[in-house]
Amino acid sequence: MQTKDEVLEQVKATLIELFEIAPERITVEARLNADLEIDSIDAVDLLDRLRRQTGRKISADDFRSVRTVGDLVNAVHAVLQA
Amino acid sequence: MGERQTFLWRILVTGACFVLFGGGGLILGLIVFPVVLLLPGGPARRRARTRRLVQRAFRLFVATMSGLGGISYELLGRERLGRPGQLIIANHPTLVDVVFIVAFTPAPACVVKAALFANPFTRRVVRAAGYISSAPTDSMIEMATAALLSGDTLVMFPEGTRSRPGQPMAFHRGAASVAIHGASVLTPIYIQVDQPLLHKTLPWYRVPTRRPHISIEVGADIDLEPYRHQLPPKASRQLNAWLLAHYEQELGDPRSYNAPGND
Repeated sequence: MQTKDEVLEQVKATLIELFEIAPERITVEARLNADLEIDSIDAVDLLDRLRRQTGRKISADDFRSVRTVGDLVNAVHAVLQA
Repeated sequence: MGERQTFLWRILVTGACFVLFGGGGLILGLIVFPVVLLLPGGPARRRARTRRLVQRAFRLFVATMSGLGGISYELLGRERLGRPGQLIIANHPTLVDVVFIVAFTPAPACVVKAALFANPFTRRVVRAAGYISSAPTDSMIEMATAALLSGDTLVMFPEGTRSRPGQPMAFHRGAASVAIHGASVLTPIYIQVDQPLLHKTLPWYRVPTRRPHISIEVGADIDLEPYRHQLPPKASRQLNAWLLAHYEQELGDPRSYNAPGND
């Protein structure tokens, strides 16, 4: 079972790799859209990547309320718990 | 007929075509499709039949528009439309672009704006044909990609909405993203009208003073290979920027495809 800190590290690594975002910009409070410029099309690619990494079925609906990196970590953590 | 008579005639034809389009949509949706749904075969075969029917209806509509002298048109490269997994993209200067493309492409799927799923004249048609709503973006991308991977031919308009006269084109990245994820081949269509015709800022009865001519050219396939070796977020941005520049180059002066209003 992964802790939230481990999930955060994994999410960070994914964002850095997929979107080439500078690591220092990725904080728990950073908003995906406004701060990190990840739009709805990028979100599709992000979910696709998370599905492959976790091996879980992740539906876009589970992530509708995600706004920040912290929200994303919580959503991924919840999916892994399920 | 004199110039004034042909002008009035074209207003009449244009109005009649709107009635024909709406009436045709209702007849197909309320009478023809329910019968088609009763025919044997699974969902895939039913949808294929529906798409062929839509194609024939649009072919008839194009023949009516041009036969009555409302417009004239030319179409180049039609034989390259309709390959499995082919994504067809086009610029969007007029209301009838999709009618032409669907009329001359064997049984395509289309991404259409969400409003057509609510419009009483069109909603049964777009549902029965299995067309894809442009919103929300994430489900559009997933459905469009799945349609291409299953071997459908898909039509998309990267501008998302009809071109605005006098304004530069803008492409939404959705089409580029779908191309990278799902298309076996990406084929551009360049549409040019010699006069403003049924575009966003004109009411339908403001027909051009001369009979408008629509030129539809199927361009050479676009090589997707370079984009497949990159991460999708970067690849879709690069492809989108390339496509926009490519269209601007192919269409030349914006006024030739996007003529300003004739006030």
